[in-house]
Amino acid sequence: MRDFRFIGKPITRIDGREKVSGAAIYGDDIDFGPNLLHAEIVSSTQAHARIISIDTSEAEKVQDVVKVFTGKDFPFKFGLYMKDRYIFAQDKVRFYGEQVAAVVARTPQAAKKAAQLVKVEYEPLPAVLNQIDSYKEGATLVHPELGEYPHVPWFFPKAGTNVAHWRKTRRGDMEAGFKEADLVFEDTYHVPRYAHCAIETHVAIGKYDLSGRLTVWSSSQSPHTQRHLFQEALSSMGLSHKDVRVIAPHVGGGFGGKAGVTMEILPAALATKLKGYAVKIRWTREQEFVNTYQRLDVVAKIKIGVKKDGTITALDHQLYWDAGAYVEYGANVVNAVGLSAIGPYRIPNISIDSVCIYTNLPPGGAYRGFGYSEMLFGLESHITRVANQLGIDPVQFRLMNAIKEGDKTAYGASMNPNGLIQAIEKVAAEIEWGKKIESKDPKKAIGKGFSLFWKAPAMPPNASSSAFLKFNEDASINLIISGMDIGQGYQTVMAQIAAEILSVPPSKIRVETPDTDRNPYEWQTVASHITWGSGNAVKKAAIDARDQILDLIERVYCLPKNELYLEDEAVKCHTQPKFIKPLREFVVDGIMTEDGTFKGGPINARGMFMPEFSSTNGDPETSQGGHPNVHYTVGAGALIVEIDRETGKMHVLKAVEAVDVGQALNPSLIHGQITGGLLQGLATVLYEDMRYDDKGKLLNPNFTDYKIPTAMDVPDEIVPIIIEVPQPDGPFGARGVGEHTMLPAAPMIANAVEDALGIRIKSMPITAEKIALEMLKKQ
Amino acid sequence: MAVVHEFQYYRPEKLDEVLVLLARQKEKARILAGGTDLAVYIKEGLDHPQVVIDVKHVSELKKIEYDNNSLFIGALATFSDILANEHIKMNYLMLWESAQSVASMGIRNRATLVGNICSAVPSLDSAPALLCYDAIVHTHSLEGTRSIPIREWFVSPRKTAKAEDEIVMGVTIPKIAAKHAGCYLKLGRYRGEDLAQAGLGVLLTEEKHYRIAYCAVGPIPKRVEEIENLLNGKTLNEAIVKEAKGLVPQLISPITDIRSSKEYRTHMCQVMLERGLQAATDRLQGKTVDSTKVLGG
Amino acid sequence: MAQIKFILNSENRIIDVQPNEILLDVLRDKLGLKSPKCGCDRGDCGACAVLLNGKSVRSCLVFAIEVDGQEVRTLEGISADKLTQLQESFIEFNSFQCGYCAPGVIISATELLSHNPHPELEEIKEALSGNLCRCTGYKPIFEAILDASHKEEK
Repeated sequence: MRDFRFIGKPITRIDGREKVSGAAIYGDDIDFGPNLLHAEIVSSTQAHARIISIDTSEAEKVQDVVKVFTGKDFPFKFGLYMKDRYIFAQDKVRFYGEQVAAVVARTPQAAKKAAQLVKVEYEPLPAVLNQIDSYKEGATLVHPELGEYPHVPWFFPKAGTNVAHWRKTRRGDMEAGFKEADLVFEDTYHVPRYAHCAIETHVAIGKYDLSGRLTVWSSSQSPHTQRHLFQEALSSMGLSHKDVRVIAPHVGGGFGGKAGVTMEILPAALATKLKGYAVKIRWTREQEFVNTYQRLDVVAKIKIGVKKDGTITALDHQLYWDAGAYVEYGANVVNAVGLSAIGPYRIPNISIDSVCIYTNLPPGGAYRGFGYSEMLFGLESHITRVANQLGIDPVQFRLMNAIKEGDKTAYGASMNPNGLIQAIEKVAAEIEWGKKIESKDPKKAIGKGFSLFWKAPAMPPNASSSAFLKFNEDASINLIISGMDIGQGYQTVMAQIAAEILSVPPSKIRVETPDTDRNPYEWQTVASHITWGSGNAVKKAAIDARDQILDLIERVYCLPKNELYLEDEAVKCHTQPKFIKPLREFVVDGIMTEDGTFKGGPINARGMFMPEFSSTNGDPETSQGGHPNVHYTVGAGALIVEIDRETGKMHVLKAVEAVDVGQALNPSLIHGQITGGLLQGLATVLYEDMRYDDKGKLLNPNFTDYKIPTAMDVPDEIVPIIIEVPQPDGPFGARGVGEHTMLPAAPMIANAVEDALGIRIKSMPITAEKIALEMLKKQ
Repeated sequence: MAVVHEFQYYRPEKLDEVLVLLARQKEKARILAGGTDLAVYIKEGLDHPQVVIDVKHVSELKKIEYDNNSLFIGALATFSDILANEHIKMNYLMLWESAQSVASMGIRNRATLVGNICSAVPSLDSAPALLCYDAIVHTHSLEGTRSIPIREWFVSPRKTAKAEDEIVMGVTIPKIAAKHAGCYLKLGRYRGEDLAQAGLGVLLTEEKHYRIAYCAVGPIPKRVEEIENLLNGKTLNEAIVKEAKGLVPQLISPITDIRSSKEYRTHMCQVMLERGLQAATDRLQGKTVDSTKVLGG
Repeated sequence: MAQIKFILNSENRIIDVQPNEILLDVLRDKLGLKSPKCGCDRGDCGACAVLLNGKSVRSCLVFAIEVDGQEVRTLEGISADKLTQLQESFIEFNSFQCGYCAPGVIISATELLSHNPHPELEEIKEALSGNLCRCTGYKPIFEAILDASHKEEK
């Protein structure tokens, strides 16, 4: 057992007092004074149409309107992985709700009033509103110019079609694998679109000052990536990265929705035309639903071959994704799943096709789980069904086929150390798998559902993190990093890492939200990589500081550095037990020597981490050869649900989730991720979905009809289980966990429903209504 | 959210002033009590009143009064006021239950029962209870007063029998003399705050007299007299309940919308009838029933 | 413009408002109190909750002009002296993550405890059912409220 002082301890959050007192400042809370302008966006009322004309004359007449802008003012394209997106629609709109024009005014009232007076004339074009139609030959093209769009080298768009990217993964001999099988089972699953529903909507304020510097205050998971995309998109202004500054205050929830750049480009761009003013946009809840990234819709066809003894011989997994009108970020969701759609299983012969398809619906993008929730709904439903058909217990079947350290991943690299077997066993024991429970109410049935999960960070191979660390006079520390505490407890955990190395308690470490001018580079707070990546950078910075401290002590006191160590905010020496030099005596002021001179000075340290072993150089036809994923985090979950046979109403009596976090840096925060993530996952399967009409208009852009769970909708009992098989290259062995906790929820419910009622529901959400009507059909 | 629409605001303290304002402004005026609907309508541009009359300081409207014969709930009584009233819980449980099912605490602290019935949306939670209790709505205008039976109150979606120059003073609920029990069953998408996919009020007396009303499954909330007539005077058994359930589809007219399909609503109205009758019967026999758990979930 | 007088966090305030100004906007933009947050603007999420005469209301559904003569309390008023036991328990039990819903949740819980110092779990759920939280899964919030109610007892 490693003996840690701060690592692995349930330290209370260092941002606690700020957040419970009302002191925490979010984007909407920043004051800009009377020079603040307000922009109101005019949105498309068509899913696909040519813009014939935009008449802004009436809007311009409204008192307090400063200026009205349209696409003509910003003929620039941008995008994270593929440059397919415009700041404002140009000649065409491609989804209902797309930004067409902006009214900037001195008051929000004036902006809103004037926006209603902007007249846009459209010539409707045929719209493709689902990926299956869009994939068909002859379908209307969403982007006829697709062949000209710049993109990262690991994307493979098909010009002249709506296929924006096609990730193919092939290993072994699939045909032979199916021949070898005693049972080949095939089915199709559907997962609709979902919304993140952070309680804080997107907000950003741009200011282009009179000296020509652009500052954007943004509710963001990605301040540095935003800075880079603003610089690229607005490069015609001659802006250098040094002239673009992103300041990211507290974020009121992200879940992937505030990764990359969506609406933030609008105030950034508008500000450049209104020198000296700050320009603010806060999305309404409706805009938040309609015009930010959404979780992608997927239709998954799964074919599995198995032997009678339970060995999986082959998998053919085809996923057709509705990625929306712009795929600059969403295509990487498709890519990530295309590399990992075997699930956490050892399968020798595989074929995966993950196809990213344009539609005339809002852009798809990152959402907690990054495609894995969607993929696992089908796969983990299918695994249970196959096991049942073979007459093998589904948990036993999973134990037999679970991937182990050293097994091959889909793309041929070696699987990292992991505690999947432990997780399965612990969850099965906690849920008393195999023990049937009867409901006390004859109208109800009780079922149990099981699911595995895995997920790797989906990142470019050079996604990096860095950290600065500076000591203050009293040996308190400012840790200067650029990841975002989107609620997961990032700031606290990073403080714990520095604390462990430097023996300074986390309560004496301040971590602020970032400012790209002052904080060092961080790629993005996404992919559940931040504990791992930024944690490694912080650890290195702390070690750098420790080295500086110990070097100084060695120099001044002639004590051997390798005998020196830090404990209780002081330097101590193994060979000189009486030597104690408190940090506060010298970490800024240095140490006075006999001649009255001082040695040392302020301790300022830095650390950086980039996964130098990662590469996307796989074969485009097979994905073999590269090392696109740094590692997988794995786990298992199970639940017990009681279902009313007539009404279909479900109640989760107990849910268990085990996740292999490598090393729990803060178990209390991990429990928080499990409880919160599980409920978010259960919500996607039980209540939520985005419903569009046949014109591509979202029917439920509000919490009145997009039902996110309330305090009354939580499972009776949630049992979090932490598994710790260390990640060799993680900080103290830790790996990420933030997204994973919601992954198993949907298949657990689907499997439990079948266990209870004998009906298999293959499309999400699995609502009470769906169950009741299915039960009626069955009668 | 910035509100574009502008209006005049009045805050009279005397009823007469309200009536004069209403008589003068008619369709241009809106009464503001809790404002939980009106504020949304104005903010979202769905309603454009020129005059808003805040009646929260008109003392005549504030009361909840009761005696042995009836209960009077004034126009300013919020759902929280109703929930805090032990007399209502003891004697008008179905009304209390329906108040409990409206939105959440922060809304119920403002939203009024009278505002609820004035909104006249089909999913109105308080309607089945008021219909079962045969409530009477009292209106007032310069022309005089009217007492309108609740069954005549709802005209069409979002439209009531209230004239433009009238204010609703309150609602009288006659006390049912016979020993009785009832329950309100609400079908929502989950246990938390939701608008009803379907709602059912069931009330039955020791003399086997039945009162049954639905909401959210037709243009207006309504009593289903055909079912009441079938059941009146009879003891419930499997056969008669089955027969009653058989009548449901022809008596309701649910639609398919974002909240539910017509098919599910129809199915559930039958299930709810059976379970509602059972729950009310159990209560009549002194058993405790948690109506929020009757439908599962 | 109309002048309104009201008590805000124990201070007498006099301000000018238009009839169509929303209390949430006035508190945030005119009076600089940023703890009530805007999450949905139509009363669904509870992030804008404030206490009006001691009862929690959705400040996004109240016209500022309505509070003339009334008493309004926001989280700033609750925190002014020192954190309450409830707030301390929120820290101890990790009852928030992103923190955006926390002011509204604490307002609702404060109201609950003011009239029901020792609530049952079901009563807590009921009282919070109008405050949406997307991060925590709510259970840590229940734990904090139960904890605070036990500690206040001592």
